[in-house]
Formats: sequence, structure tokens, C-alpha cells
Amino acid sequence: MTSAVKEALIAKLTALADDEVILAHRNSEWTGHGPILEEDIALANIVQDELGHATLWFGLRQQLDGSDPDRLAFFRDANEYRCCELVELPKGDWAFTMLRQYLFDLYEALWLEAARHSSYPPLADAAQKIIREERFHLQHTQAWVERLGQGTEESNRRLQQALDMQWGYAQQLFVPIPGEELLAAEGIVPDLARVKEGWLEHSTRHLQNAGLKLPINPGYQPTSRAYHTEHLWSILAEMQSTARWDAEAKVW
Amino acid sequence: MDTQWPRWEVFKQDTPHKPHQAVGSVHAADPEHALLTARNVFARRPQAVSMWVARAEDIYAWTKEEIAQSQLLRAEHDRAYSPPSSPRKYLVFRKTSHKRSMTFVDHVGEVEARTPEEALAQAQTTFTDAEALAWWVVPADKVYQTDPSPDTIESWFAPAKDKTYKQQQFYATVGSHISKHKLGRGVEDD
Repeated sequence: MTSAVKEALIAKLTALADDEVILAHRNSEWTGHGPILEEDIALANIVQDELGHATLWFGLRQQLDGSDPDRLAFFRDANEYRCCELVELPKGDWAFTMLRQYLFDLYEALWLEAARHSSYPPLADAAQKIIREERFHLQHTQAWVERLGQGTEESNRRLQQALDMQWGYAQQLFVPIPGEELLAAEGIVPDLARVKEGWLEHSTRHLQNAGLKLPINPGYQPTSRAYHTEHLWSILAEMQSTARWDAEAKVW
Repeated sequence: MDTQWPRWEVFKQDTPHKPHQAVGSVHAADPEHALLTARNVFARRPQAVSMWVARAEDIYAWTKEEIAQSQLLRAEHDRAYSPPSSPRKYLVFRKTSHKRSMTFVDHVGEVEARTPEEALAQAQTTFTDAEALAWWVVPADKVYQTDPSPDTIESWFAPAKDKTYKQQQFYATVGSHISKHKLGRGVEDD
């Protein structure tokens, strides 16, 4: 592995992990506030799974550069995070949260399907391991999109509003990071353009079947993971405060 | 207006050769939703290979005492249910022990009957290998099951086997499912 490829792979693993960490933490805000106990538990399960995925991606990065996953999660500032903006947005209502999780789950499931064939065995193994639970997440959020879309006038309106807001943000999931073309050329990561094709096909069909209209004007589409919404600062302040308060603590 | 979703009883099967056992209930809007939440609530940790759900109101239940006191007919009248004239299939569940902390009611088999009461009578003469503390019968078409395909089993149930969990009595202790120890793979404690 050349140093350029290695550097790009470290950056890609960081972006993958950061998406999972921030989305997981955002959704954890529902704990104790879910619309019904069963869904509260279900979303907490999804959150824990996504954090597990982040641990795997950070673990792969650690193998390459020896970095400490806890330091990366809890001691990096917002400017050093490489998550996409979609995952930073405030949790909104249940429709907003379910739609975002659906759009993300679909992307992640398709990306992982392809990543199972990575030429970098540790990545292929990790993808193989987490695709299983990602498929279940997708079934769950897919079911919610269908029910909210076809439910009442109010649930449809709320879901449509969420879609109008998120559709442009979601496109950032398919913007390659700098150097990603090196990784794709070597078959280390999937070609995002191909993943996007599948994502557009599946999401368009499912959203329309659920009675939603795809926004004609997709609105703001972020393009660089070096930039963030203002929300990242506040979520990190909350997420990192305990760790930073006593950085030497062995047990919390 | 009652905005509560209906209650569904959940039956979990741990391995292909064990019966489905009642493990608790969930609230859900429809059968698919009930299966999804049931998986989250009851199968995240210890293993499972299949789950069934049935609306609580579709389950006909009698305890040993109720049967002894011949309360069968009274219980029947509480239900707005008109029996079909032709026989239908019922799934039969039976509770045989007070020992476990959770109320396990095991699936024991099927009977063909025209009414739930007839199904109970048949169950009592068919499944005689152990004394029943309680019987449940459910019309077979009211029971919804998880997709039995290997893909679904892999994505719904397999990941739980590899997960660690906190022990209820010793919260600081992180363990793994007992099946791991049987395979000699040891405790994941980190």
C-alpha cells in the first residue's frame, strides 16, 4: 500500500466512523422520549449498533496509524470531524428522525453490500459482519417511512417536510472524499457513483410508494466534509464534555 | 378515543428444535410492525431463530383453576366472536411450570376445531404428557411469523449471538451469551 493510498484510506475510515458516531449520538437523544416504549428500545438498539460500526471503522484506522478510537471520538474538535452534514441536523420530530435513518440505512446497506468485495481484507470482513444488522435496520425504517407516508394527512405532511429538507443533504453521502478515487481504483472501497445509482432507484421507488413527492429542487447540497453545520459544535460539546472534564479517568 | 396500539403476544424460538415460547408482549400497529418491535425487544441479546406474534385479543386462555371451576362458557361469552361452521386450525400453547421467572407458555402443537372451546377440549386429550397449568389456543391464521429464509435469520437473529451484554444483577459485569461458553470461545470482557 503506497503512502497516498494509506492516507486516503485513513481519511475514508474516519469519515465512515464519524457519520456513525454523530448519527448515533443524535438519535440517542430520543432515549426516554420515543413515541412508544417499544420504539424507544428499537431506536436505542439501532444507536448501539451504529456505535458498534464506528468502533469497527476506528479499529481499522487504528491498525493503520495506531490512533486511539476514544481520543478520536472525544478529543477532536468539530473542525477535525469528517461527518456529513445530514447526520448533524437536530433530531426534529419522529418523521424527521425515521426518514434520515432510512436514507442513511439504505446508503449504508448498499455500500456494505459492495464493500464485502473490497480488495482490502479487513474492510471486506468488517462489511460482511455489519451488513447483517444493517439489513434489519433498513427493514425497520423502511416500514416506518411506509406507515408515516400512508398514515394520516398529518403524518404524510410531516414526512414530506422532512424529505424536502433532507433530500439535498443526503446527496453528500455520495460525494467522494479527496483521494477516494485512489481507493476505488484499487478496489478497496466501492465506487460511490454505482452505490448512488442503487440508492436513487430504491429510495425513489419506496418514497413514491409511500405517497411522497421527491423535491423538484433538491436545495442545499453540501460537498465537503471539511465544513459543518453549526449543530456539530453543540452536539460535540455535549457528547465530549464528560470525557474532557476528566481526561485521565479510567472509569466513568 | 383510545390511541393505544393493540397488544401482541410474542413467541420466541431459541433453536430450530425447541418450541416457540411466550416471552412477553409489544404494542404495534400491524403484524409486520409487531414482529419488528418484538425482535428489538426480545431478541437483541440471547439467540433466536424465529418469532411469532398474535394479537392478545385473538388468544383464548384458560388456567387450570378456571377449567376446574367450569368457567369456560362464561369466558367465552366475554368475547365478540362468532365461530365458523367449518373446522379451522388452532395453535396450542401450554404452561407446565411455575419455576421460571418469566411466564413461559410453550407451543405444543396444532388441533382442528370449530370453536376455541372445542380446540381446548381437543388439546386436553391430545397433549397429555404433562399437567397443564394454563392453556392458550390461537387460530392459526392469526399468528404471524418472521420470514424463515436464511437471509432473514442471518440479519434478524444471528448478530445477537456475538454481542456482549451487561448482567442485570451485576451491572458492571459484561458477559456474552451462554452458547459462546459452550463452544469454548470465552468471555468478552473489555
